[in-house]
Amino acid sequence: MQRRRWLFNMLLKALAHRTGRTLLLLAVLAMASSLATALGVVSVSMGKRVAEEVRKYGANMVVIPQASRLDLGSGGLNFGSIAEPAYLKQRDVEAALAKSGLTAERSFHLRGALHWKNSDLMVEGVNFADIRRLFPWWQLRGAWPAAGETVLGLDLAGRLKLKVGDELELEGASRSVRLRVSGIVSSGGEEDGLLFLALPELQQALGLEGQVSLVRLMVTAGGDSLKKSAAALQPLLPAAKVSEVRQTARTSEGLLAKVKLLMIMVTAVVLVSAGSSVTGTMSTTVLERGKEIGLMKAMGATRWEVLLIFCGEAALLGGAGGIAGYLLGSGIAQFITKTVFAASAAFVPWIAGVSLGVSLLLALVGSIGPMISVFKLDPVRSLRGE
Amino acid sequence: MLIRILKNSYLKRPKPVFLVFLSIAMGAAVATAFLGIAGEVSHKMALELRSYGANILLEPTASEAGGFLREADLPKVKTVFWKYNITGFTPYLFGISEISSGAKKERGVIAGTWFAKRLEIPGEEASVQGIKGIAPWWDVQGHWPEAADEAIVGAALAKRLGLVMGGAVDVAAGGRTRRFRVAGIVTTGGYEEEQLFAPLVTVQELLQLQGKVSRVLVSALTVPMDDFGRKDPSKMSKEEYEKWYCTAYVTSVAKNVEEVMGGSRAKPIWQIASAEGALLKKLNAVMLLLTILALGASATAVSTSLMASMAERSKEIALMKAMGADRLQISAIFLGEVLIVSVCGGVVGYLIGGQLAGLISRSVFNSSVASPLWLFPTAIVSALVVALAGSAAPLRRALLVEPVRVLKG
Repeated sequence: MQRRRWLFNMLLKALAHRTGRTLLLLAVLAMASSLATALGVVSVSMGKRVAEEVRKYGANMVVIPQASRLDLGSGGLNFGSIAEPAYLKQRDVEAALAKSGLTAERSFHLRGALHWKNSDLMVEGVNFADIRRLFPWWQLRGAWPAAGETVLGLDLAGRLKLKVGDELELEGASRSVRLRVSGIVSSGGEEDGLLFLALPELQQALGLEGQVSLVRLMVTAGGDSLKKSAAALQPLLPAAKVSEVRQTARTSEGLLAKVKLLMIMVTAVVLVSAGSSVTGTMSTTVLERGKEIGLMKAMGATRWEVLLIFCGEAALLGGAGGIAGYLLGSGIAQFITKTVFAASAAFVPWIAGVSLGVSLLLALVGSIGPMISVFKLDPVRSLRGE
Repeated sequence: MLIRILKNSYLKRPKPVFLVFLSIAMGAAVATAFLGIAGEVSHKMALELRSYGANILLEPTASEAGGFLREADLPKVKTVFWKYNITGFTPYLFGISEISSGAKKERGVIAGTWFAKRLEIPGEEASVQGIKGIAPWWDVQGHWPEAADEAIVGAALAKRLGLVMGGAVDVAAGGRTRRFRVAGIVTTGGYEEEQLFAPLVTVQELLQLQGKVSRVLVSALTVPMDDFGRKDPSKMSKEEYEKWYCTAYVTSVAKNVEEVMGGSRAKPIWQIASAEGALLKKLNAVMLLLTILALGASATAVSTSLMASMAERSKEIALMKAMGADRLQISAIFLGEVLIVSVCGGVVGYLIGGQLAGLISRSVFNSSVASPLWLFPTAIVSALVVALAGSAAPLRRALLVEPVRVLKG
C-alpha cells in the first residue's frame, strides 16, 4: 500500500514539476486521438450519409404485376408499354412489405389512358407527397397540385399547348375528371410526356379502386445486397415480379464501398503518420531523461521499477490525452457532418475506446521504445553526463 | 566553426535528431498525401458517379412526327467545346418488330446501338463509345456482340421466348426478316429487359432507316448546379451567357452538344444530373475539411516535436552564452540544425506522401495518381516553415535564460 502510494505520488510530482513538457505531451496525444476520433466518427457517419444521398438517384427496386412488362429506366429510352395492362392490389403490396420486414420507402403508380378531345393521353396516378420526397429531381414550374389539380410533363404541355392555370376535362372508363393544371414538370425522362394526377382520382376515373400498376421502392439495404432483398420479397408477392433496378442499386453499392474504402485508407494513412510523429515527440522527451534514470538506478531501483514509473507516467498522459482527444474529436466530427450533411454525427460508443486506445498506445510505445536503449546506460556514466 | 558544431550536433546525438526527423517526415508525408489526392478525389469521384449512367438525352426536335437524328453528326459530339468532359455517348435507333424464336412469337422493341465501337475522328484521339462504357450496370451473361448479326436480348424477353445463349432469333419488320445469334442476355431491372439490342448498322438496314438514329445518350462530367446555373439562359446578358456557357453545368454541356447535332434538342436527365451534383458537392466538402484537419494536425505534430527537442537544451545554450556567443550565433546554430533536419524531413516526407497518395488512389479508384510537381517545393517549404514556427518559442525562451542560473542547475 505504502509503496503504491509512493509510486503514485512520484508520478504526479514528475508530471506537475515539469508543467511545460506535460502540457506539450498532453496536447500532442490529445491531437492524435482527436484525429482518430474525428476520422472514425466521420467515416462511420459517411457511410450512412452517402447512402442517404445516393437515394436521390431514385428507386432501387420495383414491383410490377407478373404479366406486365418493365418499361422504366432513366432517360426516356423506354418505348412505352406495348403489352396489355395488368394491375396489382395496393393492399397486397403493403401487406407483403410489412411481412418482409424491409425498411423501404414506397411510391405507388397507376398508369392508364384518359380521353381528351379525340385523343388518348397517357396519365399516371401518383401520391404527390411521396413524389416530392422520393423524386427530388423533378423540376417543377408552378405549384404542387392540390385536390382536383394536375401536373403536366413538359413535352406533353408543349404538344397540347396547355399552360399553368388551364382546365381540362378528361374522360375515363368509369367517370370523368375535371382538372386544373397547377404545374409543369421536366425531368429529362419519361415523366416529360405524362400527365400526373392524384392516385385515388385516377383509380376512380378508371374504375380500378385499390389497384396500381407499378410500385417503386427505395430499400435501405441493411448489410444484405438488394438482390437478396428482392429475392426475399418475391415469394410474398406471387402475383408480382420484384426486380432490382441495377442502374441505381448496383451503382450505389459500388459507390458506397468506394467511399468507405477511401475513408478507411485516409484514416489509416493519417493515423500511421501522425502516430509515428507523436511517438517521436514522446520518445524525445524520454531520451532526455537519461540522468533521471541513472539517478534512480544509482539509488537501487531495478529496471522493472524504473519501467513501471515511466509506464505509469505514459499511461497517465495517454489516458488524459485520450479523454481530451475524444471530446475534441467528437466536436470536430460533429462540425464536419453538420456543415456538410446538415445532420448530427452518429454516436458510436466504440470510438471512445479507440481514441483512448490510440492515445495510450502512442504514449506507451513512445516511452518504452527509447527506454530500452536508456537501460543500457551505465548509471555512473549517465550521472556524469556523458 | 558553425559547420563543425552542426556536424557534431548530429553525429553525437543521432537518436533525438532521428526522432525529430521522423516527426517532420511523417508530418510532411500526411500533408503531401492529402494535398496530392484531395484534388484527384473530386475528379475521380465525378468519374465514379458517371457509372450511374448518362446525364444528357439528345432527341429529335420533331419527335412526335417520328423525326430522326443523323448518325453522320455523331462524331461531332467528340469535337465540341466540352469534348474532354464528355466521357461517352451511345446512339439508339428504335423500332417495333415481330420477334420470334421457333414457334414463339411476339411484338417487341428492337434497338440498334453501339456496344463498344471504336471511333476515329481526324485530329482527335481515338475512343471507344457505346453501351459498354456508359451503362456499366448492365449484367450481361454471355459476351457483348462483336459481329453484325449478334444481339443481346433482355432477360424478360428471353424468358418469354425461351431464348438461350448461342441460340437464334428472328426479327421481322416492314416485310424484311433478319436472323440474329443471341450473344448475351442482359439483366438490368429496367426497360432493357424487354428489348432486343443489335448493332446499329444492322438495325438501320432492317428498318430501312440508313444513317438515322432516334436518340443519343451522352454521359458528361459536369459541375454541380448552383443558383447562377439555374438561371434561364435566354434571359441572361451577354457576359452572363458567356460565363454560363463556359462553366460545365449539365445544361450548358447539353446546349453545347445540341448545337452540333442537327435537328436535335438536348435534355438533362435530372434524375441522374441533380443527384450527382448534390453528392459531389458533399464529397468535396468532406475531403476539403479532412484535408484542413490533416494539415493542421501534421503542423501541430511537427512543431511540438521540435518544441520538445529544443526545450531540453537550455543548458547547452547557457554554456554557449557563458563562452561568449551572442544571440545571433546561437540562433544560427539552432536554426541551422532545424533547417537541415526539416529539409531532409520534407524531402523524405514528400517521397513517402507520394507513395501513400498512390496507394490510396490505386486501392480505391484502381488508377495511379501522379503527385503534382508543385507539391515538391510546397512540401519542403511548409515543413521548414512549420518547423521554424515550432522552434521559435523554445528558442526565444532559451535565449532569455541567464547562463549562471541554468549552469548551477
